[in-house]
Amino acid sequence: MALLRVENLRKSFGGLMAVKDLSFHVEPQEILGLIGPNGAGKSTVFNLIMGILKPDRGQIFFKGQEITHWPTYKIVNAGIARVFQIAQYFPRKTVYENVEISAIPNEIFTRAIDPTPKTLQSCERTGLCEHSSDENRCICRQELPGMLPQGGLRRLELARAIGTDPELLLLDEPFAGLSHAEVDEISHLIASLRDEGQTIILVDHNMRGVMRLVDRIVVLCFGEKIAEGTPEEVARNPQVQEAYLAGGGF
Amino acid sequence: MSLRTLKFVLLGLTVIVAGAVGPFLPSKWMTTLMYAQLFAVYAMGWDILSGMTGQISFGHIFFVAVSGYTAGLLNLYLKWPIWATVPTGVSMAVLAGLLFSVPALRLRGPYFSLVTLILPLAAARLVIILADWTGGELGKFGVTPLCQDSLLNTLEGLLSRLHIDSFRLYQYCNYYFFWVLMTAVGVGLVWLSTSRIGKILEAIRENEEAVEAAGINVAKYKIFAFAVSASVVGLGGALSVHTNEAVFFNSLLSLTSSIEMIVASVIGGMGTIVGALWGGFLVRGGEQLIREIAQWKLPIGAEGLALSFLERWATFIFFALLLVLLFFARQGLLPLLMGLFRQRRGEIRRG
Ligand SMILES: Nc1ncnc2c1ncn2[C@@H]1O[C@H](COP(=O)(O)OP(=O)(O)O)[C@@H](O)[C@H]1O
Ligand SMILES: [Mg+2]
Repeated sequence: MALLRVENLRKSFGGLMAVKDLSFHVEPQEILGLIGPNGAGKSTVFNLIMGILKPDRGQIFFKGQEITHWPTYKIVNAGIARVFQIAQYFPRKTVYENVEISAIPNEIFTRAIDPTPKTLQSCERTGLCEHSSDENRCICRQELPGMLPQGGLRRLELARAIGTDPELLLLDEPFAGLSHAEVDEISHLIASLRDEGQTIILVDHNMRGVMRLVDRIVVLCFGEKIAEGTPEEVARNPQVQEAYLAGGGF
Repeated sequence: MSLRTLKFVLLGLTVIVAGAVGPFLPSKWMTTLMYAQLFAVYAMGWDILSGMTGQISFGHIFFVAVSGYTAGLLNLYLKWPIWATVPTGVSMAVLAGLLFSVPALRLRGPYFSLVTLILPLAAARLVIILADWTGGELGKFGVTPLCQDSLLNTLEGLLSRLHIDSFRLYQYCNYYFFWVLMTAVGVGLVWLSTSRIGKILEAIRENEEAVEAAGINVAKYKIFAFAVSASVVGLGGALSVHTNEAVFFNSLLSLTSSIEMIVASVIGGMGTIVGALWGGFLVRGGEQLIREIAQWKLPIGAEGLALSFLERWATFIFFALLLVLLFFARQGLLPLLMGLFRQRRGEIRRG
């Protein structure tokens, strides 16, 4: 059974149809690339899945259950987490405290579960540890996120997403605005998550950059799916090549 | 030292000072500081909602009024005893808070603030329309006093040996009653604000979307904060009716007080609770202090330079000083202090 299934999803903003009758699915442990030029509607699809936007029509199923009209927090607790295209963080909280929020349960009145181990684990998996004398112990960084380089912010985003224990991780342009070295680092990080069995939808406007990471690709253009298949199949698709040239090599 | 420990230490020092100065206060100052303690409770109550989550309420005095009028009128007309009026008043404030917060929290930024401002304005009209019962703008006397004769009589024998007359005794009773209230509320809210729940409330202020993306039901937490906040200011309001022995329009529905709660919290440091308590003292004690200084004579010239001209200007000077404080310590007194402390003593571990 597909982990996530999107059926005939449609969303328009005024006269602009940002997502047009889109259907696709993600299998467990699969990395699906969602590719398309800027403005193709990729972030909008994520916003629809996360319940931040309500679709005009269509349905979204997660583990066989319809989640189309659920509020965001409930979708997150069901097992979907996303990394925003533009880093979202708590500017006055330290890196540790930022990650900690994801490890705190939603219940107000609950027997206190110590969020510390989970927080440290998230930091460790995303390489946000402070260098310490004791090599085996991770201490989350104590600086404010504003002090981190772009790559560090991306790690922080990933750590906060992973902290919710997602079965499905949505990554929105994780390489945008990074230096070459940072792209390699984050690439490695995503690959390591994949090797741990993490299911991921990876959004990017650049097909070449994600070819090696993904199992399958869905190509979006003006809100419509124009191609789907393995990276090789999609790269050979004439419609994609045409759109690729028209889109200035997305 | 953890942030929680630090805040408890600062709170402890503050309440110890407030408690210890009591017996040395002249009567006028005792009254001022008694009300300052009540106001500190309001400010802390405001802070746990607005200071922490950034949902700025301009109309918190409304919850004081709901609770205060409920308690006062139940006592005046139905002769309910204090142990029944106060919990009922607080419950009504919480209920009003819940009824209001569920739709209001969908509103963002200035819309939310604007709607909160309308609450006390509407309530004020209602109180005036129902003036036959509420006493309107003049208020209504005859509410059962908190410090009752029976209580005072038992203490009087004990305290007459200390040469404290019955008026003083009465003042003492009210002063320390509010001292206990302030201490209890301070301990409770410092604990809450530094707990897991407080961390979430603070995170909501910084980035609501990111909190929701962490799987937290933001609305639920805001409503919870609203209920706690309304109950705290409501508790103060209901008790104040019994210390004033009257329902006073000007103390239960003053828009100035509503704004001063914000000023207190901002000056002390929004969302820090202890800062709001300090701010409460500053706002309510500061003006009195300037009036006090106006009584002085500077040793300038043969007869000395009287400062009595300050008297007329006291309120103005006070607000001007607040303005200066807000400009130069924008983050508030407690964060300012913590910044200095951090520089001198190394890092304070947060969390
Ligand atoms: N909240 C919104 N309101 C109006 N238009 C929007 C909104 N979000 C996205 N759009 C428009 O929808 C289209 C798709 O945007 P988006 O999903 O962000 O594209 P992508 O992420 O693929 O670059 C764009 O034309 C964009 O301008
Ligand atoms: Mg986008």
